[in-house]
Amino acid sequence: MTATATTASATRLAIPAKPRRLAVRAAGWAATVVILLAFWDIDLEWDKIAGLPADLAHYGALMFSDPNWSMLGEAALQTWRSVSMAWIGAILGVVLSTLLGIPAAQGVGPAWVRLPLRVIFAVIRAMPEVLIAILILTVTGLTPFTGALALAIGGIGTHAKWTYETIEAVPPGTAEAVRASGGSLVEVIRWGLWPVAAPELMSLALYRFEINVRTSAILGLIGVGGIGAMLTDYTQHREWDTVGVLIIVVIVVTMVIDAISGAIRRRIMEGAKVRGVERQH
Amino acid sequence: MSDTAAARRPEAGDHVSPASGPWPITLDNVTVRYPNGVVALKDVSLSIGAGEMVAVVGLSGSGKSTMIRTINGLVQPTQGTVTVGPHAMTSLKGAALRRARGDIGMIFQSFNLADRTSVYRNAMVGRFSHTPTWRTLLGISTAEDRDIVMRALASVGMLEKVWGRAGALSGGQKQRVAIARALAQEPAVMLADEPVASLDPPTAHSVMADLADINADRGLTVLVNLHLMDLARQYTTRMIGLRAGEVVYDGPAASATDADFEQIYGRPVQQRDRLGEK
Repeated sequence: MTATATTASATRLAIPAKPRRLAVRAAGWAATVVILLAFWDIDLEWDKIAGLPADLAHYGALMFSDPNWSMLGEAALQTWRSVSMAWIGAILGVVLSTLLGIPAAQGVGPAWVRLPLRVIFAVIRAMPEVLIAILILTVTGLTPFTGALALAIGGIGTHAKWTYETIEAVPPGTAEAVRASGGSLVEVIRWGLWPVAAPELMSLALYRFEINVRTSAILGLIGVGGIGAMLTDYTQHREWDTVGVLIIVVIVVTMVIDAISGAIRRRIMEGAKVRGVERQH
Repeated sequence: MSDTAAARRPEAGDHVSPASGPWPITLDNVTVRYPNGVVALKDVSLSIGAGEMVAVVGLSGSGKSTMIRTINGLVQPTQGTVTVGPHAMTSLKGAALRRARGDIGMIFQSFNLADRTSVYRNAMVGRFSHTPTWRTLLGISTAEDRDIVMRALASVGMLEKVWGRAGALSGGQKQRVAIARALAQEPAVMLADEPVASLDPPTAHSVMADLADINADRGLTVLVNLHLMDLARQYTTRMIGLRAGEVVYDGPAASATDADFEQIYGRPVQQRDRLGEK
């Protein structure tokens, strides 16, 4: 090591020219200008921010000093409705995403199938679930079913993308073996790709459900029912002691679901690893 | 594995391959040029007799992997024709090609099992070309298919692991399951692409012995890609040497000299060209 260091310092080093990266610098300046314009346009009311801590304390006291626990039953019922919406949305969305996502993977579907599907997923990804719900409630009305349907359709955008990316990341060996023994394309998908990709896709499906639990509360705001709708109602009627209960319920339920779902996801991915020796925790 | 060879004998008669006997393999002026411009095979012509046990020897990049894949149609030649028994592989498409592949078993260097699935399901893949698609998709197999799969697993000594996960097996066990998967096809020809390159020397020898048994007892035509000279000499009767996509040696395996191997490798023989450790 030392010998090479000495010879290196003795001879003149041919240091490569430092790249200029003009494009990177230009992009940085452009981003700065956009951010400054945003501040100028929104017209921040700094004096109101100064009053925010006091307001927060005031409303916090209204909500949480003496929560109206008699509303707990109703809150739990509406939360159950929201979670059901999330579940149905996740299941419908994941089933549709799997059916549409697999043909969209490189090496499975031909280009004329892959590209239109990917465009559809990208368009759906660009639309928030609330927007989708507003579009379809003209057909299905202000019902929890509208919420579930919006979650299902909205879920396709991301979950189908995850599906084809997962399928594309599957090592080609198993699929080649199925093809070599005379398997058709569907058999290659079913027994060469699916067994390898399934644990990760299951894990992503559960993650989709976690996201849906949060989104279903937001969907309630437009009136499709569930805890979000209840939250809007009681906020508008300024019944802060009930709003306090609702917020507690939403946070607790969401955290519990996240914890359970996260634990299951870890189990799935751990089980997916090759188990040679017994695992110790 | 010689002790199990005797137990295997009756099965060879039980399940006759569709051709009722091994098949010859013929390559006529086969050239493979990949889309990226690489020429993997240059005008290769070969004739392999029914029931022969042949080693294809060459360094990595010599084209032996491509050659074995032209035989079951996983790679289609740019020019030339490949014939396996009654099948003109180079002119087959779709269902006919899949049926022909069903008569040709293949095993791989990296075993290519679905690790998260049971040994049984993996071996059942060998029945796909003989089974309606709706059955294979739902995983509902006939009693006959089940029987064939169980016998194939038993013949390689893996029956007791049938309900275990493939991923939990050792390398040698995985390769045996892969052999069972190929045998479940009841093939007339067995192809093996570097079947022992991922295995330790004792396991490598026993898997090579399994392949030799398949050739001797079931009478299948066996084609094995290898890069180690002692394995070729010990387990096969004929050796084909490939270098840069061309056949540079074709003759008996046992009597092939070090000079012959140097011609195939295009360099002096080195320590790593032998597996050793019987």
